[in-house]
Amino acid sequence: MNSEYLSPLGRKLLDRRGFMNSSALALGGLGLAQLLGSEADETTNFTGKSPIRPVIDPDKPYTSRAPHHEAPAKRVLIIFCPGAVSHVDTWDYKPDLTKFHGQKPPGIPAVTFEGPTGNIAKPFWDFKPRGQSGKMISDLVPNLARHADDFCFLHSLHTQTSAHPQGENFLNTGFTMEGFPSAGAWMTYALGSQCKDLPAFVAINDPRGMARSGKNNFGSAFLPASFQGTDFNAKNPPANLTRPAVYSSAHDRATINLLQKLNSKHLERFPADNDLAARIASYEMAGKMQMSVPDIMDLKGEPASIHKQYGTDTGSDLKKEYAKNCILARRLLEKGVRVVQLFNGSDPSGGNGITNWDSHSNIKDTHAMQAEIMDQPTAALIADLKQRGMLDDTLVVWATEFGRMPFLQGNGTGRDHNPDAFTCFLAGAGVKKGYSHGASDRFGAKAEKDPTSVYDFNATILHLMGLDHERLTYYHNGLERRLTNVHGHVINDVLA
Amino acid sequence: MTSSHLSIFVSTLAFSLGSVHSATTDFTKDVLPILEDRCIKCHGPGKQKAKLRLDQRPTMLKGGDSGLPTIVPDKPEKSFLIEVVKQLDPEMAMPPKGDPLTREQVATLEKWIAEGAEWPGQMDDVGAKPTSDHWSLQPVKRPEIPDGKSHPIDAFLNRALEKTELKANPEADPLSLVRRASITLTGLPPTPARSERFVSDSKNDPQAYEKLIDELLASPHFGERWAQHWLDAIRWAETNGSEANLYRKNAWVYRDYVVRAFNNDVPYNQFISEQIAGDTMGAGEATGFLVAGPHVPAATVGAEATAIRQARADRLDEVVQTVGASMLGMTVSCARCHNHKFDPISIQDYYALTAVFQGVEFGGRHPELSDEHPRKKRAKELYPQMFKERQTLRQAGLSWAEHWGGFQDYQFKAETTKAVRIDFTNPSVFIDELEIFGPKGHRQNFALSSGGATLKTDPSMTQNRGDLHNANDGYFGTMMWKSKAPKDSPDRPWVEIHFTESQTVNRFRSSSNREYYFETEYLVNKQGKKSSVYYPPNFRISTLQEDGTWKQIAHSQHAKNRLNKDPELKAAHNRLHTLIGQLSEEGPRHSFIGRFQKPVVTKVLYRGSPENPRDEVMPRGFEILDGDLGLDSSTPDPERRRRFAEWLTRPENPLTSRVMVNRIWHHIFGMGIVPTASDFGLAGAPPSHPELLDFLASEFVEDDWSMKSMIRFIVSSDAFRRASNPESLALQTDASSTLLWRFPPRRIEAEVIRDGILQASGKLDPSIGGRGFRIHNEKQTYSQWEVVDNHGPKTWRRMLYQERMRRVDDQIFTAFDFPDCGQVRAKRSISTTPLQALNLLNSPFVVTQSEFIAERALSEAGGDQKGAVTRAFLLLLNRVPSEQELTASLEIVSAHGLPIVCRTLINSNEFAFLP
Repeated sequence: MNSEYLSPLGRKLLDRRGFMNSSALALGGLGLAQLLGSEADETTNFTGKSPIRPVIDPDKPYTSRAPHHEAPAKRVLIIFCPGAVSHVDTWDYKPDLTKFHGQKPPGIPAVTFEGPTGNIAKPFWDFKPRGQSGKMISDLVPNLARHADDFCFLHSLHTQTSAHPQGENFLNTGFTMEGFPSAGAWMTYALGSQCKDLPAFVAINDPRGMARSGKNNFGSAFLPASFQGTDFNAKNPPANLTRPAVYSSAHDRATINLLQKLNSKHLERFPADNDLAARIASYEMAGKMQMSVPDIMDLKGEPASIHKQYGTDTGSDLKKEYAKNCILARRLLEKGVRVVQLFNGSDPSGGNGITNWDSHSNIKDTHAMQAEIMDQPTAALIADLKQRGMLDDTLVVWATEFGRMPFLQGNGTGRDHNPDAFTCFLAGAGVKKGYSHGASDRFGAKAEKDPTSVYDFNATILHLMGLDHERLTYYHNGLERRLTNVHGHVINDVLA
Repeated sequence: MTSSHLSIFVSTLAFSLGSVHSATTDFTKDVLPILEDRCIKCHGPGKQKAKLRLDQRPTMLKGGDSGLPTIVPDKPEKSFLIEVVKQLDPEMAMPPKGDPLTREQVATLEKWIAEGAEWPGQMDDVGAKPTSDHWSLQPVKRPEIPDGKSHPIDAFLNRALEKTELKANPEADPLSLVRRASITLTGLPPTPARSERFVSDSKNDPQAYEKLIDELLASPHFGERWAQHWLDAIRWAETNGSEANLYRKNAWVYRDYVVRAFNNDVPYNQFISEQIAGDTMGAGEATGFLVAGPHVPAATVGAEATAIRQARADRLDEVVQTVGASMLGMTVSCARCHNHKFDPISIQDYYALTAVFQGVEFGGRHPELSDEHPRKKRAKELYPQMFKERQTLRQAGLSWAEHWGGFQDYQFKAETTKAVRIDFTNPSVFIDELEIFGPKGHRQNFALSSGGATLKTDPSMTQNRGDLHNANDGYFGTMMWKSKAPKDSPDRPWVEIHFTESQTVNRFRSSSNREYYFETEYLVNKQGKKSSVYYPPNFRISTLQEDGTWKQIAHSQHAKNRLNKDPELKAAHNRLHTLIGQLSEEGPRHSFIGRFQKPVVTKVLYRGSPENPRDEVMPRGFEILDGDLGLDSSTPDPERRRRFAEWLTRPENPLTSRVMVNRIWHHIFGMGIVPTASDFGLAGAPPSHPELLDFLASEFVEDDWSMKSMIRFIVSSDAFRRASNPESLALQTDASSTLLWRFPPRRIEAEVIRDGILQASGKLDPSIGGRGFRIHNEKQTYSQWEVVDNHGPKTWRRMLYQERMRRVDDQIFTAFDFPDCGQVRAKRSISTTPLQALNLLNSPFVVTQSEFIAERALSEAGGDQKGAVTRAFLLLLNRVPSEQELTASLEIVSAHGLPIVCRTLINSNEFAFLP
């Protein structure tokens, strides 16, 4: 790169970096455009803050990289519940729903997502005070409720859409539209991983399959593919991880030996080419993964007490499967995997008739079925992390894409989508314990006190991971793109 | 004024004018103090927050980032100033600090504006046309070619090189060259025979390289390779993305169009005009371009009107993004909510572009084809035959049903009447649209409500969410008229269609969900069965007589009975259906290439919100590039797009030619002269060789926009033919080889890897065009696509034809940075991941193909193992193995078999890199 072609600012950047270490810039998508994009620092940054670009060694794109600021959280567990969990039946206690049960007070819209609206309905489960904080939580999630003192609820979340795929996109990628990198990919891009033989970012999909937005929820979009979530769960290894039946280990050794010979001869012709070196390194990593992934998926070594605690042998088949996914999540976090995204719900097909939290009819049955799967294993996972001291440096995020309405649908048995108020919670590293931030209105219909956008939510997650959401950017088609677009404020109130 | 301090200006003014007492507002005395006190600190000579100045009238007329004029003289209600000081929108309340303006102050400002916003001394300057000194918006100027005997491209490149210490590499060896040229131009590595021929020719034929290039450019695989690049640039895919990610039926006809266009060297100006307005140019398939991006169908955003409006605005945005990024190289969507932050594109420019495409909607139609199009020709053969069969039936006095897949046409004897009545024999009917046609002007549907027709029925039978108006609103799909007779009642559903005046009618068309039939496929119901199409089985048709009575003119059951009893008529009816089947398959077919509708008035949407429409805008191009087309809101849809295409392809448009030559350069060298190939704005990167870019752009236009000529011109340069070996000193100065002292090597794309493997095994089906191959399941509407077979014989075509599903992983090649087709992406990133390694080591595709390659190599070597290893190297790498490689390979062959060697070669860096 001849600096003649750079603006003064670009040249300054080169000097500052001691640009001769060009390896960081040779990794295709991280190459020239990234470099040149930095020229635009002055103009592209709306906030006046300049981007902080991770220096990525193409040989080892997953090596651990320093955060922007010191932060207690070294890794993150994102538990995502697609379909929209009813906040008014779980975490957001609204006595007025009982008072107005069966009525239609003024102010209720005539039409919501699925059509005409019905009357206010009291929660389908009883609320009780929990823990020392006395937090009111419903009997739908009795196991998670026991850990109320560890959680920090956000009751005033609101989103931009009442359609699932756009909602999932927005929560997980910061945009309702298709094609933006997931939060997990952003964090992996910035921070790499502390683990040498496992992917930096693992997406543990629901036993029933992927959520509505599919790969968007853990994809890398325009970030390099290295930073996407690797998709496997306790039952299914990543595609093509396992050696095909026609091959033996001797076949694999022969392949790798010959490959080394071919590649080193080729490398003689291209001595300083990092792309080639990176590709060689990727085969080494693949080899390690063939050992480490089956190893981490094998839960037989876990003591019976752990299986019991998570519930891998009790309840519905789906719950047993999900419980195994929860144990897998803990094992991955223990190994230092940077981002683990655990899904509780899929796209509506197959399964036992319900596939996620989308309860437009018979909410009493369908939410109960879904909660049976989610509650005990998730609670056990959080308790297990705590017991091992891992909550000190692991951030736990429990999220859903929006809430549900305080009133029933025309059919009288389900609750429709509510984009204007919903609840998620955080726990673990850097987060206040036994705390509730913000509030929805008296029916849980709209965020009222300290309304919190999804941008704020994501900005806060990044902050807890040591990242400045305004400086974690990637040049793409004319803009320094961010997880939080041009919005978002860290919610200081939830920080410990 | 701009540099002087406001208060000085004011005092001078006050002195010169003195105080004028009148009923009108005194700017200096009444208005200026408010501005000075509350606004100028942030929006004045010192700071211009939101790029807004309120110390000058012209800048107030123009407004700031919001794109709305701060003041509109005489119209306080349209002046953004009034809106913000009234603090109607809490997020845009001004001033942001301190008390709001008093009611009196607001009234003063309103009065001042209402009186014409008099500003002494500044009344002549009404705000200039936008200007820019940004390089890409300046006219293309053909530069002098630097002296010397070199190819003009090298002349420019060498001049830049000479200013450095760098020395250009010598020409690459013939083997690298033939592999490089072949992959660059056709996406396929050369066959062993072709590479051997080139290596030997290049020893004694000075024209060997030119001949190779001619041959590659003439190959039908050239169009496939370059179509892939174009499809990437516009993120074309065959599913919607969004809610159900449904398959877009027959969208592939657009892919065929692009392949054909490149192969036939359709001039670029024609190429882009056809994609914008091909419906007016006999190239209807080309408008698949407009709907290349993802979309959120109206039916999936729920029942709230605001969500439906938002989804439509998002769909239009996808269209504008596609056009902006691919053809204009501008990030137009940045101006959707406010003026573009970096480039001279205003929010008015953005909405003017949406006005150009206001008539476009995501969906399908029958493509308008030229008479030479093979499908059109086929239809012309079939129509007379169909006419003949119909005549037979008609002459027998029969009425009959024609099943067209998505709908049923019922043909009956022509009658002139003011109303038609249909009495259904089934107790329940559901119809998304019913239509009545006549023998003349056979496309005019007399039943349409927008044409004045009214429907009547027995409302007591109408079902919930099944209103009658759905039956003649012109919309197909899930919104239907549903009617059901009460249980045990002898009554049956009926409908009357009343026209505004007498019409001659002979055809009744109906369907239950035409949208699903025509626009999508590969769907199954919960039981895993393909959902069948419903037609109302039997009915009676009557027409209204002058005396007000109804006369039955057709009875479908009776007609059916007669048909079944008469073997000749039955045979004619059967032949007619065979022809209908042939026409649907071989003639022009309904394809997902966009549909057109009457454009509504387009307005600027304040802060991008459809709930906040402001001033009307007319269809036009960018103001900064003289985009006024003299059109208005009454201009019909096709004309808007046609005129816009004319503007886009004017030779003096500085973006169009630059953007495309740069794109071509990018695909040849792996990086553009402008590295940000879809952003030529201020936030993009400047050209590394500005004069070369302009030279190529002017050459492109002068050479009648021939893409093939431009590609030939570039690959004929020394720069393209240079060796790619790194040179450590040069790497230190220019790691990314921007100065092209070497040809920059790079990992080949997913398609090239897959196609190259299939070519090596000899299994590649080289047929060009047509429907793609499927690797996925058939799915329920709301579920995910899953890979079923990504390696079997039916997948052995070029990967261009692998059905391109948005955001779906094919479990082998997606890992090689295959785009998710969500956002417009100027180029694919090239990353390296362990998943790529696992996929190339263990996928069933590689396992089986390794065996095929081994089989082939062994048979071509006459069963000799040494020969077979050599053959495998030639098939995959175009070269023979070294002694060492041969020895190592033979050891493996004897211990584990030849397929393991082939598997290894597929995984080698040499196979995966463009030399």
